[in-house]
Formats: sequence, structure tokens, C-alpha cells
Amino acid sequence: MTPLTELTKEQLIARVEALEQSLARHDQDSSERKRLDNQLLATNAELRDIKASLDEHSIVAITDANGRITYVNDKFCSISRYSREELLGQDHRIINSGHHPKEFFRDLWQSLRSGKVWHGEIRNRAKGGSLYWVDTTLFPRLNAAGEPEQFIAIRTDITQRKNDESNLRRFATDLSERNKELETILYTVSHDLRSPLVNVQGFSKQLSRACERIQVAMTSAAEGCVPVADLKTPVETSIPQALRFIHAGVSRMEMLLAGLLRYSRLGRVTLTIKPLDMDLMLAEIVAAMTFQIREAKAEVQVEPLPGCLGDPGQTNQIFANLLDNALKYRAPDRRLSVRVSARVEGAQVVYAVADNGLGIAPNHQAKAFEIFHRLNPQDSNGEGLGLTIAQRIVERQGGKIWVESQEAVGSTFFVSLPTCTSTPLPRP
Amino acid sequence: MNAAPVILIVEDDEGHAILVRENLELAGLNNRIEHFSDGQAVLDFLFREGRGVVREHEQMYIVLLDIRMPKVDGIEVLRRIKTDHELRKLPVIMLTTTDDMREVKRCHELGCSVYIQKPVDYDRFAEAIRRLGQFLTLLLVPPVNGARS
Repeated sequence: MTPLTELTKEQLIARVEALEQSLARHDQDSSERKRLDNQLLATNAELRDIKASLDEHSIVAITDANGRITYVNDKFCSISRYSREELLGQDHRIINSGHHPKEFFRDLWQSLRSGKVWHGEIRNRAKGGSLYWVDTTLFPRLNAAGEPEQFIAIRTDITQRKNDESNLRRFATDLSERNKELETILYTVSHDLRSPLVNVQGFSKQLSRACERIQVAMTSAAEGCVPVADLKTPVETSIPQALRFIHAGVSRMEMLLAGLLRYSRLGRVTLTIKPLDMDLMLAEIVAAMTFQIREAKAEVQVEPLPGCLGDPGQTNQIFANLLDNALKYRAPDRRLSVRVSARVEGAQVVYAVADNGLGIAPNHQAKAFEIFHRLNPQDSNGEGLGLTIAQRIVERQGGKIWVESQEAVGSTFFVSLPTCTSTPLPRP
Repeated sequence: MNAAPVILIVEDDEGHAILVRENLELAGLNNRIEHFSDGQAVLDFLFREGRGVVREHEQMYIVLLDIRMPKVDGIEVLRRIKTDHELRKLPVIMLTTTDDMREVKRCHELGCSVYIQKPVDYDRFAEAIRRLGQFLTLLLVPPVNGARS
């Protein structure tokens, strides 16, 4: 820089002006810094308040790039029932409930690692084993290279909503079951109840025609004489036949009405689902049927049976009905042998009641469970309701019933019910 | 070969079968009438299976078919008849207690010729069957031959 002594007057003035300007600029800078400082403080306060309100509302956690928990808020601790110390440094597997398949978390991580926000519903397990549902948003914080360096998890407790949803689903299933029941009743009323009415009306007419013929025969007969020839047909044929059909029709209607009531009341019975000792139950059923079994000269063999979950009374009814059917539909030409066995298949026990009786032809098997359906109505007594009711009971208990059969060889009825270790199906 | 078609009444209710037959005869119908008490029995007859009587060669038949029956129901009998190359020529008249429109629709879809409800009131029942009898006398029916498709 040129020494001051060598400067011209103009140059000196310019130098002084420049110095004055720079001084002014410095003053300006310091007030700018002050302004910035204040702004920073305000932003900080704002962020602190936003965080506080977030903590009031949501369950918040932050993890590092490897998923290790580096921060949890109080709500996280309170819903997961873990202390902050237990959580920090762990990854989220500590609250994994095992509800979601592996692919669920694989997809979640895939999306996060590619820098995308993930949103979904997760079922977690708290310390002590209780389960809760959270609606979750996972936000990856990216570094300058665009790679995630932190994950912020913001969750909302939706356990109540999830419970409501599952209740709603159960009510819907229940409702559709009731509808099915109403359909069945409607079908039965329109088909089965009308049939006997036709007979009652038709044969009443025949009865009154027979009376008219007797009347005519009586008035035309000579005093004191019984007109045997004219009375023969009405008295010996028409009237007994009419009475037979009228009686049969009335009893059938009575039976159908009683059956319909029994069927529709089933849906209102509250089930008490508990572990059942099936060895004991079958022993009791066989003991109660000793007389019929001896009368049929049948051999009943019960193998050791695993227990299951079910309603004691209703489940008893299923197996009593299956044994009763085996006795009823035995083949006349061979000694009846019934074998009760079971095997465990996943979460279900499949019980089998196998007989060497009449059997059911393949094309008749589908109708076996139909209400009031009877395979050979003339051969045996029964209302055609046993298997329909058994099916209803089994389905209400979360199981299934089906038949495998060969005509003239025998039938095996299968009943599947949940194993004792499976989660019982809650019913309203 | 017979000139008049044989009427096959497929009806599990013996009382109904008697009442139908009586009223058909009252209508002046003098065709031969055969009664089957369930769906399987008439299938055995038509398809010439089982141990009982089977249908004749080149005979004409009209089927009066109930729906709700043991073993095989009327809908299935109708389906079997209408999907058989030869037997589908048979006129099938559904004669049943229900007026459920879904059933009516289903039977027509499967190819029944006529669907009639048996009225519960006997005077109307008798009248319906009598008119059906008169109607049957007017029908021209093709014979079905012996060979099964």
C-alpha cells in the first residue's frame, strides 16, 4: 500500500471515506449477527415446542443407521413398558410380537434404506407379553450423500381401533351366520312345511267325499238294513287311507316345527369353550349308549384321544350323534364295528368316527348335512336334523365336519376342533 | 311302441303321488303312470342302471318332477337329464311345493319345460293338476331311443 505521505489530497479523502464506510459496515454486521442470534433462539424455542407437542401426542423413537435405538420419548417407554435404559442401544426386535411375517419387515427396511418414508400398522409386544398396535411412520434422515444416517419413528396407539375392527368382523360373521340360519328356515318353511299341508287338505277332502258316499248309502238303504256293499270302499279303504295321510302329515309338521325351533335355538346357546378330556367324554358317551350298543351287537373301539378346545355339552352332542348314526345305519348282514380315533394336524385335532355300515354313495354325500334330509326315510326313524346340528355346533366352535364313505363298505365322519394350545376363538 | 307317453311321477311323498295321480285320472288322462319315490330311483330307470325296472326302447315319457327328495333332488335329476345327449329330449315338468323364484329360475336355466307350484289349498291343487292333465293330453312328445349317449 502506498505510504500516506505520498498520497495526493484527493487520494487521502478517498481513503478516509473508505475507512468510514468500512466502520459503518462493521456496525451493521454486528447488529445483523444479533438479529440472527435472536432468530436462532426463536427457532430453537419453536422446535422445542413442536417436539414437546409431538411427545404429548405420539410415541417417538430415533435410531441410528443400523437401527439401534438412540432416543425414545416417555410415551414409548410407557406403552412398551420398558425403561429408557432397557431400550437405548437395542433395536426394535425387543418389541417384535412375531405377528408379522419376515417379509413384512424386509419390505419395510428395503423402503427405508432407499430413502423412502414408510407408513403402516404394526403389532408390537410390550415387556411382560401384552400386545399393542401402532400406526407407524418411519422417516429416514439422509446425509449429504443421500444415505440414511438416522431413522425417526413416530407412532400412534391404535390398539382400541384394532380391537373394534376385529369385534366388527366377528359381528359380521355372526350376522352372516344368522342370515344363513334364516335362509335355511325360510327354505324349509317354503318346501317342507307346505308338503304335509297338501296332504292334510287333500285327504280331508277324500274324507268328506267318503262321508258323502256313506250318507247316500244310508239314505237309500232300506229301514234297519246296513248297506254293506256300498259302505265297503269308504269304510275299509278311503277313510283309513285318508286318516293315515292326515295323521302322518300332522306329525310331520309337528316334527318339522320342533326341529326348526331346536335348530334356531342353537345359535343362541352361549358356548363355554374350554379344554376337553376327550377320552373321558367318549367313555361317558359309550357308557350312556351301552344298551343300544348291546342291542345292535356292535363293537365300539375308542383309541386314546388327544384333548381339544370346545364346549363340553355341545361337543358331547356331536359325538353322541355320530355314534347314534353308526348304530342306526348299520349293515344288516355284518356285525357293526365302530372305531373312534384322532390325529393332530397343525392347530387342529381331527377326530374320526369310522364304521362298517351301509355307507353313503358319493353323489348322496353332499346332502348328508342338509337340514331335514334323510337318505332312506322309509328304513329308519329320525328327523334329518342330527348332522345339520352337529355341523352347526362344530362350525361355531371353529372346526369342520365332513364325511368319507363308500356305499356298502362304511362311513368315516371327521370332526376337526382346535387343539388345547391354540388360541380359542372368541365368541360374542 | 306305445302311442301315448308314459307319465313318470317322481315324488317322495306318497300322499302327493296319490293325489296327483287321482286328479290326472279325473282329467281323463289314461296314460300309463309310474311312480318313483326319490331322484336316484328315476335316474336308475332312465339311465338303465341299478337293479329295478328300466325304461323301454323308443318309448315316450313325460317326467313330473318334485324338487326336495331324498338321495338325489329334483334339480340334480333335471341337470342329469338335460345334459344327456339322448334324454334331454324328455319333457320335464317341475311339480313342487315351493314358489321360490330362485328355484324357478334355476330349473328354467337347466332346461325344464314347465314349472308348476302345487297349491296347498286342495281345491286349487285339484284344479291345477286337472288342468295339467288336460294340457298333457295335447303334448306331442318325441320317443327316446335305447342307446345311451
